[in-house]
Amino acid sequence: MKMSKKVAASVLAAAMALSMTGAASAEETISLTLWGAEEDQALLAELVEGFKEAYPDQSFDIQIGVESESTAKDTVLTDIEAAADVYAFASDQIYDLVKAGALAKLDDYGEALQGVAGKTLDDVKAANDAGSVEAASVDGSLYAFPMAGDNGFFLYYDSSVLSEEDVASWDSLLAAAEAAGKQVGMTLASGWYNASFFYGAGFTTGLNEDGTTAIDWNGTSADGYTGVQVVQSMLNIAGNPAFMAVADGDISNQLASGALCAVVSGTWDAVTAQEVYGDGYAATKLPTYTLGEEQVQQGSVAGYKFVGVNAYADNFGWAVMLADYLTNEASQQARFDQREIGPTNLTVVESDSVKANTAIAALAEQSPYGVVQLVGGKYWDPAATMGELIAQGKLSVDDEAGIQEALDTLVEGVTAPIE
Amino acid sequence: MANENKGGAAAAVGGFFRAIGGFFSDFGTAVVKGDAFTRLSLVWMGAGYAKRKQYIKALLMTLLEAGIILFTVFFAMQYVPKFGSLGTVEPEQVFNMQTMKNEWNDYDNSFQILLFSLFSFVVWFAAFVVWVKNVIHAYHLQKKEEEGGHINTFREDLHSLIEEKFHITLLTLPVLGVVIFTMIPILLLIFVAFTNYDQNHMPPTSLFTWTGWTNFISLFGGGGLTSTFGYAFVRILGWTLVWAFFATFTTYIGGILLSLLLNSRKTRLPKLWRTLFIITIAVPQFVSLLLVRNFFSNGGIVNTICANIGLTGFLRDIGLVSTSYIPFLSAPGWAHVMIILINIWIGVPYQMLIATGVLMNLPSDQLESARVDGASPFQVFKSITMPYLLFVTGPALVTDFVKNINNFNVIYLLTQDVYVTTNQAMANSQAKEVDLLVTWLFRLTQEYYNYKMASAIGIIVFIICAVFTLIAFNRMIKGDREGTYQ
Amino acid sequence: MKKMKSSRTSSIVLHNLLIAFLAFFWLIPIIWLVCTSFSAYSGMNTSTFFPQEWSIVNYGKLFHPDTVAQFPQWFMNTFIIACFTCVISTMFVLMVAYATSVMRFPMRKPLMNIAVILNLFPGMLAMIAVYFILKSFNLTNSYIGLIMVYSASSGLGYLIAKGFFDTVPRALCEAARIDGCSEARIFWQVILPMSRPIIVYTVISSFLVPWMDFVYAKMILNAGISTKYTVAIGLYKMLDKSLINSYFTQFCAGGVLVSIPISVLFFIMQKFYVEGITGGAVKG
Repeated sequence: MKMSKKVAASVLAAAMALSMTGAASAEETISLTLWGAEEDQALLAELVEGFKEAYPDQSFDIQIGVESESTAKDTVLTDIEAAADVYAFASDQIYDLVKAGALAKLDDYGEALQGVAGKTLDDVKAANDAGSVEAASVDGSLYAFPMAGDNGFFLYYDSSVLSEEDVASWDSLLAAAEAAGKQVGMTLASGWYNASFFYGAGFTTGLNEDGTTAIDWNGTSADGYTGVQVVQSMLNIAGNPAFMAVADGDISNQLASGALCAVVSGTWDAVTAQEVYGDGYAATKLPTYTLGEEQVQQGSVAGYKFVGVNAYADNFGWAVMLADYLTNEASQQARFDQREIGPTNLTVVESDSVKANTAIAALAEQSPYGVVQLVGGKYWDPAATMGELIAQGKLSVDDEAGIQEALDTLVEGVTAPIE
Repeated sequence: MANENKGGAAAAVGGFFRAIGGFFSDFGTAVVKGDAFTRLSLVWMGAGYAKRKQYIKALLMTLLEAGIILFTVFFAMQYVPKFGSLGTVEPEQVFNMQTMKNEWNDYDNSFQILLFSLFSFVVWFAAFVVWVKNVIHAYHLQKKEEEGGHINTFREDLHSLIEEKFHITLLTLPVLGVVIFTMIPILLLIFVAFTNYDQNHMPPTSLFTWTGWTNFISLFGGGGLTSTFGYAFVRILGWTLVWAFFATFTTYIGGILLSLLLNSRKTRLPKLWRTLFIITIAVPQFVSLLLVRNFFSNGGIVNTICANIGLTGFLRDIGLVSTSYIPFLSAPGWAHVMIILINIWIGVPYQMLIATGVLMNLPSDQLESARVDGASPFQVFKSITMPYLLFVTGPALVTDFVKNINNFNVIYLLTQDVYVTTNQAMANSQAKEVDLLVTWLFRLTQEYYNYKMASAIGIIVFIICAVFTLIAFNRMIKGDREGTYQ
Repeated sequence: MKKMKSSRTSSIVLHNLLIAFLAFFWLIPIIWLVCTSFSAYSGMNTSTFFPQEWSIVNYGKLFHPDTVAQFPQWFMNTFIIACFTCVISTMFVLMVAYATSVMRFPMRKPLMNIAVILNLFPGMLAMIAVYFILKSFNLTNSYIGLIMVYSASSGLGYLIAKGFFDTVPRALCEAARIDGCSEARIFWQVILPMSRPIIVYTVISSFLVPWMDFVYAKMILNAGISTKYTVAIGLYKMLDKSLINSYFTQFCAGGVLVSIPISVLFFIMQKFYVEGITGGAVKG
């Protein structure tokens, strides 16, 4: 090993000597690999061509592979060295990816960006929505480029069945749906959706230094509500015959079946909702719900999608350039034009076409109540189970002690040390 | 490894140790009584052959020795010295503006150290065996020469590989394949069970190290970090055994009944019917099971039909379901029963095929004489058909049971992404009521990167299978199997 | 007399009705698969058993690949992998079976015992290690790697073939030996020609492995290049949460198309399967 260390050192020295003489190898073809969602493939191929044209002096060999943003973490962490150099992922995965060393701290590469792309990291930060930059940063350093700002949820509804007043609160919404013989759908068995009730009541989640999750749902929130009260409200909603607890991932399917007159979902279901609701297609912020005696606005998770650069990428510098290119203003505009994906770039956000988009407008309406969800890996299973307990009515509204116990168990599981 | 052997019983084990003993005593004799060249073989592996004029063999042996030395110096020594610590240097990188690349230090990768050390051990072990054999062989040659016997030419040696040593020709590649793709992975994961390889210690960015029995202690509920692992483990183990029992016996009995039904004289067009049943197993499982999963999902077609005919309402009224749908694959109890039923669906045609084949070979003279004696069909079945079936397919029943303990496909395809547990203690250790030990360990590695616990669970699964096989085979093989039906 | 005959007829009718009922019950999901594959709708129809609108558009789509569905390409990939796997596996299985059944050598028993033990380990667990072994040989994301995974350990599945070889009369081998045949010739010219059922069985069952497996394939072909997928992972990925609504019926169509050749092979195999298994079990 010592020997090979010496070899490595001499190679390094040689490389440095080479670079000092200024003999940078511009003729070398740079190979990069890129992962994006299945639906994005055509768009990515187009953008990659644009990237090549933007740097005509350099020859590239860029391979595009399929990896859904929602499962990127699972595949990347199985073997970081084999993962793509540049990959898209959902914002909730950033902590695990950073901790495993799969994302590089971009602060160290600002110089490279400036040298080649002619802009600084601060330009990138300024160009994008502040919330997305915050979510893409860990401990104040940027680790990924914000790509899309629509990874959150709001309410789709059929305006031929429900009025604007109906969708203002869960109570009126469910009553109107029942009167129309339809149902309202939402996923409860997922820590991503069901946290919205807790966030609305002022509860929080957070990440500790060691990667464990901090959660206060079994206590009293900053707004003075108890976790038990929130669960009681959820049980009241879930127990309403006009409410349908949809399994995680089954929303678009249920929506298409036509049984739902309103549904909590995100922009990915916009096309299905338009088809099903036709002229009645409408979207708005989430309703308020009855908590104790009062009406409380349901919160939501402000999710983003990012493009990250694999710290183990062979051609790291160019990978950063590609990631930056895929998320710049023009690319975000193209992404919206072709796929109706909500941008984070402020110029694109302000454009008329984006503003006219029903789903993205609803998301913007919900965004003041959106929370950047900070949780570790141990959060998801116990939180999904909590939601399923409520969805199946396994807890009783009157049994406060039972609810408290369930919340205590939830907190215990979520805060458990990582192994 | 072989001393854990079962089935073949004590004789085989004894024979194995005797063989090892013989091996070393031969080696001792060779060293003590060998001449200078035989002893020189200890250092230069080609020496014995060169002396007896087997020059090609001598050359080959010398090359092999050189190869092993090169392997040791240039490959093994990079990893084996770090085996004790599993590495100490964490990765660091510096960005080089000119090349636009990251330059890394020479960092350690614990997993690579473990894997390549193990690989080196296996190579060294093989080399050691060859080395000892070689000395023994050199001594044999020496004796042959002293006695004036014939010493094979290289051509004769080659020829023996399709004669009395044909088994070496036959077995080399398959054994090599098994060693690399089955044995080394298994040994590797036995090692991992004694480390802290998990999400906080994942190569290449982090290192992991040895931790002794910690993982097994927390698996059995002994304090440690994971307070509910023990709780989940006991329940999953229970369901694994229940599942394996029902999955094995329902399909076994169902298969026999179906084949009796199809092979009855009353059946018209038996071939057509058999073909129809076989279609279900000819569709790949990932298609048929994923389909059935959607078929029975909470918002699936079966639920729609049940709701339309009022079955869901009826079940709600009598309190069997509390939801607006029937939770076929999403509530404990329901899911357990459904999984076993669906397994009958795909398992019975298989067993039917086997039973059909066995029934065709039924000793017909016994059947005839029973009929002549006026035995009823049921009596014939009970005292002739069934004992015969059990005799022939008994060992297969044991292997089926073990296969079902490890039946990944059925459980994974039917419940992954669909089943959400309502048992909080289970959820806290990432388990579900419907998990088998294998699906649990699979998800622990794929979703939680908890390789250390997955490996510990894997070892437990192996022990369970081994104990079961040992007991079952000993019971069954005790009787005089041969000759009963020949 | 007449009465007896009629009761016999009715019992036959009842018997066949029972079988028909069971067969119908067994085929419901398959019928659903076939019907759904002919649906004009792209998602999962949960309100009626039969599609509301019939169409063959899904089959058309499978042969006009988009970025998600590249069915013809997947089919070719799987076919190539399956052919190589089949040749190597069959060779390995027959070689091991012959050596353990016909030949006698000192390591025979220990090797067989080790094989029993190795078969008891849960294979899923070894997967991650297999992956890294392939990676250190730079064989991930290659068909060679996948072929090796499918066929390298196939020697462990020698028992059925061994059971069959055990039934070949030893006198034949002895006679051949006395005639001066080498072991290799006995293997090729005495044993193999007599073992057609078990060879066909081994060939077909090893040919089917790559069509059925999705776990290893997903792990090893992890570069996400969809033109390199096998049929199994390609179809499996169509049921991804974000895709199921637009690809469910295509998945069904793909499932039907894969099942047809496999079914044909299966029907050929079942006859030999029965012969092979029982031949070994009775006399072994």
